[in-house]
Amino acid sequence: MKYLFTIGLFLTALLQVNHAQRTITGKVTDRKGEALVGANIAIKGSYDGATTDSLGLFSFKTRKKDTVSIVAAYLGYDTEIRIVVLKNPLHQVDFQLREAFNDLNVVTITAGHFEASDSKRMVMLRPLDIATTASGGADITAVMQLLPGANRVGEQEGLFVRGGAAYETKTVIDGMIVQNPFFSSTPDVPQRGRFSPFMFKGMAFSTGGYSAQYGQALSSVLLLDTQDKVSDNSGVNLIAHLAGVGVGYTHKGEVSGQLFYSNLAPFLQLVKTNIDFIKPPQGLGSSISVNKQLAKNAQLKMYATYTDNDNALGLPNYEDGGKPYIFSLRNRNFFTNNTYKVNFNAGKLIWQTGFSFSNNTDDIKVGSVPSDRQDRRIQMRSVLKQLWGKKQQNSILGGAEYHLIQNNNLFNGYKSSLEDHYSAGFVETEFYIHTKLAMRAGMRGEYTSSIGKANIAPRLSLAWKTGDNSQISVATGQFYQTPERNYLYLNQNLDFELANHYIANYQWAKNDRTFRVEIFQKEYKHLVREFQNSFDPNPYRFPTGATNNRGYGQANGFDVFFRDKKSIKAADFWLTYSYLNTKRLFQNYPVEAMPTFATKHNFSAVYKQFVPKIACNFGLTYTYTSGRPYYDIQQEAFLSGRTKAYTNLSFAASHIRAIKRSFIVFFMTVDNVLATKNEFGYRYSPDGTQRFVVTPVVYRTVFFGVSVNISRKADVPKEGKLDI
Amino acid sequence: MQRIITTFVTLALTAALLSAQDNEYQTTMKEIVSSIQTAAAGEDLTPYANQLERIAGVEQKEWLPLYWASFCYMLKALAENDGAKKDIILEKAEALIGKADSIQAKNDEILVLKANLASLRIGVDPQGRWQKYGAISGAALTAAKAVNAENPRIGLHEAQGIFYTPEAFGGGKEKALPLIKAAIEKFEKFKPTSDLMPNWGKEVAQYMLIEAEKK
Repeated sequence: MKYLFTIGLFLTALLQVNHAQRTITGKVTDRKGEALVGANIAIKGSYDGATTDSLGLFSFKTRKKDTVSIVAAYLGYDTEIRIVVLKNPLHQVDFQLREAFNDLNVVTITAGHFEASDSKRMVMLRPLDIATTASGGADITAVMQLLPGANRVGEQEGLFVRGGAAYETKTVIDGMIVQNPFFSSTPDVPQRGRFSPFMFKGMAFSTGGYSAQYGQALSSVLLLDTQDKVSDNSGVNLIAHLAGVGVGYTHKGEVSGQLFYSNLAPFLQLVKTNIDFIKPPQGLGSSISVNKQLAKNAQLKMYATYTDNDNALGLPNYEDGGKPYIFSLRNRNFFTNNTYKVNFNAGKLIWQTGFSFSNNTDDIKVGSVPSDRQDRRIQMRSVLKQLWGKKQQNSILGGAEYHLIQNNNLFNGYKSSLEDHYSAGFVETEFYIHTKLAMRAGMRGEYTSSIGKANIAPRLSLAWKTGDNSQISVATGQFYQTPERNYLYLNQNLDFELANHYIANYQWAKNDRTFRVEIFQKEYKHLVREFQNSFDPNPYRFPTGATNNRGYGQANGFDVFFRDKKSIKAADFWLTYSYLNTKRLFQNYPVEAMPTFATKHNFSAVYKQFVPKIACNFGLTYTYTSGRPYYDIQQEAFLSGRTKAYTNLSFAASHIRAIKRSFIVFFMTVDNVLATKNEFGYRYSPDGTQRFVVTPVVYRTVFFGVSVNISRKADVPKEGKLDI
Repeated sequence: MQRIITTFVTLALTAALLSAQDNEYQTTMKEIVSSIQTAAAGEDLTPYANQLERIAGVEQKEWLPLYWASFCYMLKALAENDGAKKDIILEKAEALIGKADSIQAKNDEILVLKANLASLRIGVDPQGRWQKYGAISGAALTAAKAVNAENPRIGLHEAQGIFYTPEAFGGGKEKALPLIKAAIEKFEKFKPTSDLMPNWGKEVAQYMLIEAEKK
């Protein structure tokens, strides 16, 4: 028994020794020495540890001995491990943690870049923002025109960015250039974009200095990224409005098809138009898209659309006793855009490859003269991207593109055609020197067979985070573009046109409030000039004179943007002001002048209010654009005249109602509520004695419609989820 | 004889030592879980979350420390007003529940918490996120139902979804009322299998019932 007692005593003593406690204390701070409150200190593989107090201090006891790993972890910071040999009763271990890469502290390149996406936090606009903006008419480009850097041009489609013409902006879907992003051009009737904003998860609008991944745009790119598959729901969508009816079906979120018939006749019956429609625009559109996750790491997106539209209008005529002549257009367009994306090595290596094809036919008659146009583009693109860094924040990518572009043109019985093999290669790296300092550097090389010339364009952006909510960003680069096809038909000795961009930007963003200022300088070189005996102001002329690359120009200015989604409950408003000073000698301009599409001052205010009680969304948009230069043969200086300023106040409202499994959205818009008689310019008779005013198609537009979504699962339709 | 006794005592002591360790898990967890479930609104649960993570580091086969740590971060995210900060907290909570899920797949409590976290993600940016996270939340709830339809927290989450959705979007207090009542009924029947198991949400349901019955 005594023996037993001894053993017991011995064992207890052994346990005692084992249980001798040691104290570990210390302090956890960030790299600047600021205390981190609530950090977790642990001895790896044990319960022992502590949480830092309000001074960043900790202290705990442990029975562990010998070599241990002490781990310090804090939300938003990199975890640190310290190896300590425990031999003394008291150990002091201090930690200085480094901030991890996260959305809060990381700088992003914002110079020349306007993002409208779902995935990133630095967002400015959303697909839904586009649908709910008054005066936007759910058209991507129309809303982008309200953003800083864009000039409002009312009689023609396209994005006019910082003194650039519409042809200087390219629309890019999933990395690939879209040959015909708008419905075919009709004199003085601006056309809509072909794509619905809801097709896209992200829309980035560049005001310049864009990435080396894209080319062939002197001024800007509009980057559209298609939606990923988000749900397995099936559903039917019906839409009916003043201009048409449509039906769509989505199967398990993977395959969807749309059919749309449009006819503007009922709408034109209701309003007084400034343009004489001999045949109201009508058309049939269809599209099909597939969005399939082939494997966990592979994604296939396919999209194809076919549209057939026609219309005819009477245009003023100064000959034949002033009898209007008829312009008729039938457009048939087929477009398919396909991408396959696969990633390897846990997403660190991404390979994206794409194929697109478009075939566009315009059967045009001006008077009785056929002026048909046809174009076709086959495009292939492949990009390999490697990510690295703790949060895979750094990347390097390389890629190549090949396009075959074929054009046919009929003018005055004269047929011309053009074939171009365009190829490009690019490399780019985005690199974080520090969480607060990022750099993007790239290089793009291109070769165009039609002119037999090549170019190499460097691009560089830097961004520096100056405070918790503010940052400065700069961007520069060279941007080449092949001359417009109308020039190349007759002269294939031309060279690339070139623009150099210099952009500096300051941005402050906090809690749904964003403020940004951007200043820029843009130099145009080698612009195409035409030579003719006298200046022909007709923008739709076919250039038949001699051409060379001796044109040039410049643009500079600044813009200011403020958006606030916070101050007023359930409301969202933004203010934009852009100042532009630009001059150029190009096309058939005899001297350097401010081009007719440019305006000095652009201001817009957009306000949206959601009223949950009545489930209504209201929007108001006001825009002001200073006068545009116009041509008058009697002017002393070329293009010295200015139209009166353009103003527009628009209103939009929508109401949503849920009935069982379906959602119904009623919407209406009034464009130019005050029916202001805006003027975009003048068209003169060849002798300069007569002119007519270029005006909007309609001064005041009232438009309404309804959209119904019937879903297998009670899913709120895209239109239905307004800001709550 | 003495030898036998010695062996016996040694064995007993070893067993005691081992069970002490096992008890350490049980007692520590019990203490933490009860502290969390009785914590006052607005109380900072970070020390508990930290402690739970330390335990999870040792007890690599237990899903509960990870579950409760994730739960702490969920409450922390609820209290946070800044969207960007909320996201960082939720990211942490998702990582923890993801680990729990890999220890014990098809656990209804884990799935419900996942659904809750996805809904909180939507809250940061309803317009931009409802599609993605709505689908995640819905899928998690459906999976939870398939495992244990009697889990009252499934019904609670569904009721909350309707309760906080405006009438025009197919929600509203009135519409939520039957769901709230059904959830409360399930809460009445629910008995956690141990003190460490989740047993939260009844008060929330009762609060919603009062609000929904207000006219």
